[in-house]
Order: sequence, then structure tokens, then C-alpha cells
Amino acid sequence: MKMPEVADNEHLPVAQARTGEPAAWDALFRRYQLPLYVYVFELTRHEQASLDLVQETFIAAVKHLGGLRGDEKFGSWLFGIAHQKCVQRWRKKGGHEILFDEIPETPDDFGDSPDDLLMRREQEMEFMNLLDQLPLPQRSVLLLHFIEDFSLEEIARITETQLGTVKSRLHYAKRALRKLLEQK
Amino acid sequence: MKTPREILLARHRAAGPKLEAIRRAVVTEELNHQVTKSQSRAAGLVSSCLDGSKVFWRELIFPSRQIWAGLAAIWILIFAANVSQRDPAPAGMVKAFPSEIMSFKEQQKLLNELLADRSLPLDIERPKLFSPRPRTQIVETVVV
Repeated sequence: MKMPEVADNEHLPVAQARTGEPAAWDALFRRYQLPLYVYVFELTRHEQASLDLVQETFIAAVKHLGGLRGDEKFGSWLFGIAHQKCVQRWRKKGGHEILFDEIPETPDDFGDSPDDLLMRREQEMEFMNLLDQLPLPQRSVLLLHFIEDFSLEEIARITETQLGTVKSRLHYAKRALRKLLEQK
Repeated sequence: MKTPREILLARHRAAGPKLEAIRRAVVTEELNHQVTKSQSRAAGLVSSCLDGSKVFWRELIFPSRQIWAGLAAIWILIFAANVSQRDPAPAGMVKAFPSEIMSFKEQQKLLNELLADRSLPLDIERPKLFSPRPRTQIVETVVV
């Protein structure tokens, strides 16, 4: 079977990757390499560390794909590995930023897709600045929402937090973002 | 107008070549490593079996090889002797069968006649030396 160069979400060749087919792995990694890097870089703010973490994530994926239940969960599973690698790195370095702080649950409308939020060119810098200012837990959730449009359940699984916590983090992050964009 | 996703991806697109290199390295090296690991597991099993047989040969057979050779020679001799002593005659038996049966029957008949003459009178003439009676009868005769 011929592999597409970049796998799309609908046709991830996970089953072929399970048999160790290099073309399948290549297509999967090509699909996720940049989104993963963006996610890891925006959390660590260090280029070389981000590249190392992406590599470690890929290696761990090759080694542990047998443990993945459900081929359609490959994307969130891969981001989960990357997230864990980031947490391990912070723990090793004794980082002050905490990924597991609890924010009280707040109900909100989460129906809007990340693509509903369109930004003008002059707003792009403000968006990136705002992202930098967000506390790490909120930034992590917002990035997962924007980069891959993961569901709340998937984000909860990736970050290993309660669903309610994810909801409240996303709520605060989006509110802060809207506020900033409206001010401008 | 761009979506946040497009903005984020565009911001880091410069890392593309490095990510390509990482991907290629993982796919070629890590997957090969996985394949060779599974192959080496199988090879390790085979080599451990071979090693086991080598150790068996080196430790048990080789030091006393003359004894083992002597034992083997004796077993071969025993086997050869066993094979040579076997009757090769099932077909010959079938051919000789009727005549031999006839002579055998005649001999058996003769033997029966001879035995019958001696044994019958012995059984008839032999007197009973002792015939046990109840104790009460014996006592009665004494009293009378």
C-alpha cells in the first residue's frame, strides 16, 4: 500500500506503523512534526530543548505504539508523550512554573472552533505576546485547542488533568485573549 | 486574516529543516534498531541453543571421548548381533506348518496314552489313611 507523504487526520496509517513500516512512520511524523514542535517550543521557549523533546517523543512513540488503544487517538497520544517529556524536563530543572495548579471550574460556551477566531496581520504580534504572558497551564490548554483542535476530553487526557480544570483553563485563556483583541 | 493555528505554525516554519532531519533520523535509525532488536532476539535464541550444545560437547563428550567411542562401538556390536540372531523365517514356517503339525499331534497322542496307563490305577488304588470323624462319635465308642 502506497503511503501518502503527509497523513491526514482521517487516514492516519497507524495500523501500518504498528507493523514497523517505515513509510507509515514517516507519514505520521511528517504530519505531526511541526505542530508538536510548536507546542513544545511555546511551553519551553528553548529551540534546542524543543528539538530534543520532539526527537524523544518520536522515539518513545516508535517504542510504545503497542500500548496505544484506538488508532484514531494517535494524535492526542503523541501530544500526551510530548507533554510528559516537557513536565519531566521541568522537574529535572526544578522549574518554578507549575502545570498542575487548580483553577475553580467555570461554565462557559466552548462550542466555538479555534478557526472562528481570525486575526488581522497587526494582531498577530499581540496574540503571540499574550500567549507568552499566559500562565503555563492555560497556555498549554490553549495551544492544544488552537494547534490541533483537540476536544476537551482529549486535552484532559494529554495534560492528565480533570475535565473541569481544562474547561476553566480554556475559559480564562480565551477570555484574556478576547479582551486583548477587543482593546486593540 | 489568519487563524491562531496558521499564525503559530507560520512562526515556527523555520524549524522545518531541522525537524525533517530529526524525522529522517528516527525513521531510519530507530526503526532499524527496533527491527534488528527483534532479529537479534531470535538470533540470540538460536545462538544460545548452539552455545548449549557446544558446552554439552565440550564439557561432557570431548574429555572422555574414548569412553564414549567405546560405548558406541559396544552398542553397535550388540545391535548387529541382535539383528543377525533374529529368525528370518516367517515364510518358511508357513511352508513347514502342516507336516510339522501332523507329527506334533502324533507325538502328543502317544504321550497321552503312555501317561494315562500309569496315572489311572494310582488314583483308584490309593487307600485313605485317615478319615476324620466328629469328636463326639469317638467319645461314645469309648463309653460303650
